[in-house]
Amino acid sequence: MAGSIYDHLLSNGVTRRSFLKFCSATAATLGLSSSMVPRIAEALEKKERPSVVWLHYSECTGDSESVLRASKPSIAQVILDIVSLEYHETIMAPSGHAAEKSLHDIITKKKGKYIAVYEGAVPTKDGGIYCFIGGHTAIDSCKQVAAGAMANIAVGNCACFGGIAAASPNPTGCKGIQDIIGGTVLNIPGCPMNPENFTAVIVHLLTFGSLPALDSLGRPLFAFGKLIHNNCERRPHFDQGQFVRQWGDMGHRLGWCLYEMGCKGPMAFQNCPTIRWNEGTSWPVQAGHPCIACATPNNWDDAYPFYKRLEGLPGVGWQANADKIGLGIAVGTAAAVAAHGAIRAAKQRKVPKDDGEGHE
Amino acid sequence: MTKIVVDPVTRIEGHLRIQATVEGGKIVDAWASGTMWRGIETILKGRDPRDAWTFVSRICGV
Repeated sequence: MAGSIYDHLLSNGVTRRSFLKFCSATAATLGLSSSMVPRIAEALEKKERPSVVWLHYSECTGDSESVLRASKPSIAQVILDIVSLEYHETIMAPSGHAAEKSLHDIITKKKGKYIAVYEGAVPTKDGGIYCFIGGHTAIDSCKQVAAGAMANIAVGNCACFGGIAAASPNPTGCKGIQDIIGGTVLNIPGCPMNPENFTAVIVHLLTFGSLPALDSLGRPLFAFGKLIHNNCERRPHFDQGQFVRQWGDMGHRLGWCLYEMGCKGPMAFQNCPTIRWNEGTSWPVQAGHPCIACATPNNWDDAYPFYKRLEGLPGVGWQANADKIGLGIAVGTAAAVAAHGAIRAAKQRKVPKDDGEGHE
Repeated sequence: MTKIVVDPVTRIEGHLRIQATVEGGKIVDAWASGTMWRGIETILKGRDPRDAWTFVSRICGV
């Protein structure tokens, strides 16, 4: 079908093979079986690119950057091929009145047919004076755009929950989009959000005509249904009591668990360990830095300080004693390994202990 | 005397408004306003300096 997403991809040099690889990868991200790949492919072959209005409020444009660097299926800017990005202040040609006209035209002529994407929190203090676009406050802007949108998607922690702009003492009274416009808002948090989760949401919307299943915070379950700690490649080190105690120590060089250095993986839900970043190259914990729970509401205060060990989470009894439990397991493991005459256990006992406060 | 306003200025990160006064085909005065403020400096007060980079790196994501 002329004008379909598939045609657009073909005309931009994407091969059939790459297209199907993209469909398979997206099905995997969505947690769908491979039997759904043909259905996704069929939808993308037939459907036209949906119009997207992308608005910026109190933000850093990091989520746009994240999207512009999306690379599956081996092409840059794949999202720009799947959606028709009709309003996006960072990359659009018109400015001033021409930009305002372009936004006005979309929300009136395509009423009920466009997807609204919000990046950045909405400042509400002092009547919303801390963010103006074209003379309108962010509050008025998002209400106006949301009214005619077929779906409202908040990207990044700021748009979802207020993010860093709402960190204590929240100087501008920032709130997430859902708090302003009400109704259903699909939240793709993260700082920034992972572009593959955004693509998967759009593909789900096109294939099934509906938003994917959401958790109580409006986050798609396929991406935010699992605890980072439970999916982490360093988890075996946690279970064996092998912790990094100091930056650059032996454990850090060997890729041991970052819990003692302040990792917030045990309170963070996201699929980072699975899909990673930059074409699946790496993610913060793999690179050796603790998770800062960037997709969690209020992480800039609740997960703070970032380099202090997380403890005493209500309802999760083992967390407070994780160190002791971990060490207990380590002793057991050492005994078992020693019995087999291995030297690895000796190394394990040499790990320097500190007060567990991180920061050295 | 004519007043020209360009808001939003696009292809930049952040929110910018430019206003100019034109007289006889020449710009005689101009104002630039950053129309968004989050107060990251205020948010940083009282926090551990070792955490500062995580905050200030979010001032601009481009």
